[in-house]
Amino acid sequence: MTDTQPMRLGKETVGVVNKLKIGIARRTEGRGVALLIIVIILVAIMEPTTFTAYSVTLGRIALIGLVALGLTAVILMGELDLSVASTLAVAGVIMASAPNIWLGTLAALVAGILIGTINAFFVVYVGINSFIATLGMLFALRGLAFVLSDAKPVRIADIEAGIAFGTALLGPITPRVLIFIVTFIALQIFLSKVRAGREFYAVGGNRQAAFDAGIPVRRRIFTGFMISGFVAALAGVINTLERTAADPTAGSSVLLASFAAAIIGGVVLTGGRGSILGTLIGAFSLGILQVALTFSGVQVDIQDIFIGSILLIAVISDPTQLRVAVTSIRFWFQRREKSQAQT
Amino acid sequence: MTTQSIETIGEVGIKQNKFNLLVWISERGVFVFTALLILFGVFFVNGFASVINITDVFYRAAPIGIVAVGMTFVVISANYLDLSVVAQVATAAVILIGVSNDYGLPLAFAVALFVAVLYGVVNGVAVGVFKANAVIVTLSTTFIGLGILRWLSGGSIFFGPEDGPVRAFGQAKIGSVPLSAIVLILVTAILWFVLTRTNFGFVVRSFGSNKEATRLSGVNTPLVVIGAFVITAISAMLAGFVLAAFSNTAVSTMSDGYDFQALAAIIIGGTSVFGGKGSVLRTLLGVIFVSVLTNILVLSSIGFGLQQMAIGALIVVAVSVDALARKVTKK
Amino acid sequence: MTIDNSPPALEANGIVKRFGGALAVDDVSILVAPGEIHAVVGENGAGKSTLMRVLAGILIPDEGIVSVNGVPLTGGAKSALDAGIALVHQELSLIPEMTVAENILLGSTPTSFGFIRAAELRATAAAALDEIGVSVDLDESISRLSVSLRQFVEIARAVARKPRVLILDEPTATLTPAETDYLLAMLQRLAAKGMAVIYISHRIPEVFRICKVVTILRDGQVVDVTRIEDTTPGAVIENMVGKELKQDLDSRRDATPGEVVLSARGIRAHNVNGVDLDVRSGEIVGLGGLVGAGRTELVRAIIGADARTGGSALITVDGAPRYITSYQVAVRSGIGYVPEERRTDGLALSMTVADNIALPNRRELSVFGVQLRKKTTAFVTALATAVALKPPQIERNVGEYSGGNQQKVAIAKWLGRKPQFIVLDEPTRGVDVGAKAEIHRLVRELADTGAAVLVVSSDLPELLELSDVIHVIRDGRIMGTLSGAEADEKSVMSLASGEKMVGA
Repeated sequence: MTDTQPMRLGKETVGVVNKLKIGIARRTEGRGVALLIIVIILVAIMEPTTFTAYSVTLGRIALIGLVALGLTAVILMGELDLSVASTLAVAGVIMASAPNIWLGTLAALVAGILIGTINAFFVVYVGINSFIATLGMLFALRGLAFVLSDAKPVRIADIEAGIAFGTALLGPITPRVLIFIVTFIALQIFLSKVRAGREFYAVGGNRQAAFDAGIPVRRRIFTGFMISGFVAALAGVINTLERTAADPTAGSSVLLASFAAAIIGGVVLTGGRGSILGTLIGAFSLGILQVALTFSGVQVDIQDIFIGSILLIAVISDPTQLRVAVTSIRFWFQRREKSQAQT
Repeated sequence: MTTQSIETIGEVGIKQNKFNLLVWISERGVFVFTALLILFGVFFVNGFASVINITDVFYRAAPIGIVAVGMTFVVISANYLDLSVVAQVATAAVILIGVSNDYGLPLAFAVALFVAVLYGVVNGVAVGVFKANAVIVTLSTTFIGLGILRWLSGGSIFFGPEDGPVRAFGQAKIGSVPLSAIVLILVTAILWFVLTRTNFGFVVRSFGSNKEATRLSGVNTPLVVIGAFVITAISAMLAGFVLAAFSNTAVSTMSDGYDFQALAAIIIGGTSVFGGKGSVLRTLLGVIFVSVLTNILVLSSIGFGLQQMAIGALIVVAVSVDALARKVTKK
Repeated sequence: MTIDNSPPALEANGIVKRFGGALAVDDVSILVAPGEIHAVVGENGAGKSTLMRVLAGILIPDEGIVSVNGVPLTGGAKSALDAGIALVHQELSLIPEMTVAENILLGSTPTSFGFIRAAELRATAAAALDEIGVSVDLDESISRLSVSLRQFVEIARAVARKPRVLILDEPTATLTPAETDYLLAMLQRLAAKGMAVIYISHRIPEVFRICKVVTILRDGQVVDVTRIEDTTPGAVIENMVGKELKQDLDSRRDATPGEVVLSARGIRAHNVNGVDLDVRSGEIVGLGGLVGAGRTELVRAIIGADARTGGSALITVDGAPRYITSYQVAVRSGIGYVPEERRTDGLALSMTVADNIALPNRRELSVFGVQLRKKTTAFVTALATAVALKPPQIERNVGEYSGGNQQKVAIAKWLGRKPQFIVLDEPTRGVDVGAKAEIHRLVRELADTGAAVLVVSSDLPELLELSDVIHVIRDGRIMGTLSGAEADEKSVMSLASGEKMVGA
């Protein structure tokens, strides 16, 4: 058959503006950005000091956001890690119990990775739903933190080092904020530029297809849980250093805030959708909101109500779920009208 | 999958199940382990087999048991669990004492019931209609609920009057059995009846076993989920009453840990987190197991931390056994 | 052209594949030369998809050898892939939130030190898209592409691996006519460059347009291999369906349809494009067509099991018309629905026979919501006997029964409601011969007692045997309507495969 110039199907996007449009349409952070804008406007009107006291605000964002960053890696694969709250406490206690802070830090981070490995083992090899496996771990590790600390706050060996750690390096950049930024950049690169990280999206988006394409799904899940365990442990170490003591009860509100940050930021619980940037935006919204509420003299209890409500709304307004719910409700109304019209 | 259902072509008649240790443990284990645990307590633990201690076990088991028996409905409907029972129990306790102190018992009951139903409906709608993840939904309602409770109560402890009806209820015994244990048994009996003998219980079990097949049998499935959460919430309310009556005080932190102790009892009892399979009687047995275990640990002066570790580990082990047993029976 | 002298691109010898005891592929051999487009055709369930999965190494054959360029495969999808066999699946296997470029190279992403070489990734993906002549933005995510563009990305993914043999399983099922033309021309271009193409399709006209050789499968066996110029569309269809005698006319009922029970107008839904359908009392209406033609979607939209985007369905029970506004309304109005996937949608396998049968009848078997156990047992036992459940142990879990018995339970759960309208989707798929006859008897009895019956079946002899009227569905529309007397396998297949149209 004579091959003439083949006809082409589809069309390529041309022009910078159109390409930009596609880039924006692909993003998953819409909800997070919307909340952030609302929060910024409200706070700018009601409690502008939040922005002038940006070092406090940044510190709070880093506190809320760090664990959420690690969690995002797991959620992207459609799994969940509830144990992060306890991992944080256990790591803090381990860190404080060590004779010097470097050894302590090392031991705490290793413990975090180990916890992640155990979680992954139950999920991958035993076949337990990650919700339940990590919930069990949450309780067990909370107990471990109490056992290791004898249920009392543990002071770190080198108080001086702790105090030094808490001081700002440059402007508002405390070591905590610096570590937060570094973690963000590292995970952002990992999930967008590194093959293993990009494949997290494949594992969460269509696990069977990922497996068929030759992606080592089990290894990816292990990596994800290890990342979330590591980052949670890192958060525990930072908390301990800043307070110069480890608190075995630390972490229960971390669970709420970190899930809220990730989910508001557009990370979908069923996996495959979301981004580290979204989680960052979620953490910014929540951090600014919390600091503003604190400055306005709102009690911690009411802050919990706010954040709990935001998480509840975020989890039921997940774009896919919302579409299903809206279609069914709209369909229901249409049918009502029709059947009434007929009778 | 394009394999269709070819795998069933060659088989006529009924498949035989072979004996398997994991399956046996997941189905019968709790009976044996509870018996062994009690025997261990009787023979090796000082102070276990005394009337005072057993009464104490009953007192502590009652509220957790009531929560666990109710939450069994949510677990059987394949919606994991309801973490917000912690907030629900504390709220009911504070309402019972706080409101009845100022406005009398009937209003306290009415308010508590309203709040319980509200919890159940909010959780149930989010999970059943919006198909949101139950763990995250109930995590957020826990924080909302506890936040509101602490805000309104100012985090203070409420004391009932020494001669009030709440105190009387808490002190009441029939023989040497505290009234709260009788409430537990009553609630269990009622919920056993609901789960095994009524249409609602039937569709809960069916929904947990296969959501789509249940929907295609004409069942209004979102209502089933809402119903399961409402039953859990009302049980948690009763647990809050019992807990408040026991000490004649109420405070927002009094039910910490109820979420995982109840879950542990349910799972150890043999109700599957994969849905469909389970019973409230098994949960009651699980409650006995967890309570006796905790009691033995306390009597052996083992600290709170190790107790938590033990129960957390038990949850993971029990679910693992269930998961592995399911793999065996599927083959 | 020297293709006749070169070694075959792909050769399969004596392939046998069993599932359980059933032979899905029975001693099949196939030979494909480089540059040849080789069609594999057959009815639903003839074993085409199974054979392709064997060729692609996804399934390991029980007997026989597959070799590529004379080298036998050692087994496994990886070795088949390495040897140069690429399969384009029937169901899409792309990752929705990843970009076009990433999907094309999924599993073989180029990296250095773990980092993705983005420029190379894009270049390779662009080259693959260019080769098939499709323009898609490389950075667009799959979830934002149309279904047909996704199909082309899937093909680009196969082509990017530079395969010697490209296998396509029903690639045109989701495409428009223009896109189909485009795809066929593209395959011809690829073949002209020396790629061997195995093209699986129900659509005979497409086969005659591009293929050189056609292999016809029936019941897992090769019934004919012929060069396309030596045959005609009619002969191919005849070979596909076999020259069995038209079924025993004695088994046909004397249907005297009564009033219209179900009347559907302008039904639209996913994969359903405007269908009008009437089913009368005492009548068995069959829906024929190929897998993916939209039959299941149609019946589910009619009864409200899935959302409709348009149209209405009216059910008349005892002279009282009622619009089906939701699935629950449908069930309450007296419909019964036996879904296609009985194991996932039809039955709760881990519950007992009694529970499964009682579920839709629970209101009648209870007083104030409390179940009446004796009544339930009697009710269930009667139904289990009526459908000849073997053995009739109603306290056993349904999952322990064989497929045929499970299907009887799936039907029995509706019988107690004396349904005025019952839909059976693939009522005897995966069912043994004895149970099949019993299920057919049940369906006829239902119609004899005045129910309106709608049957979807891919099993042509079954459809012909049961139906008083057959509507043939293609692309979500009724392509033709045949009375039971005039319908035969050939006429149904012709309509279903688009070979001809009878006054639609």
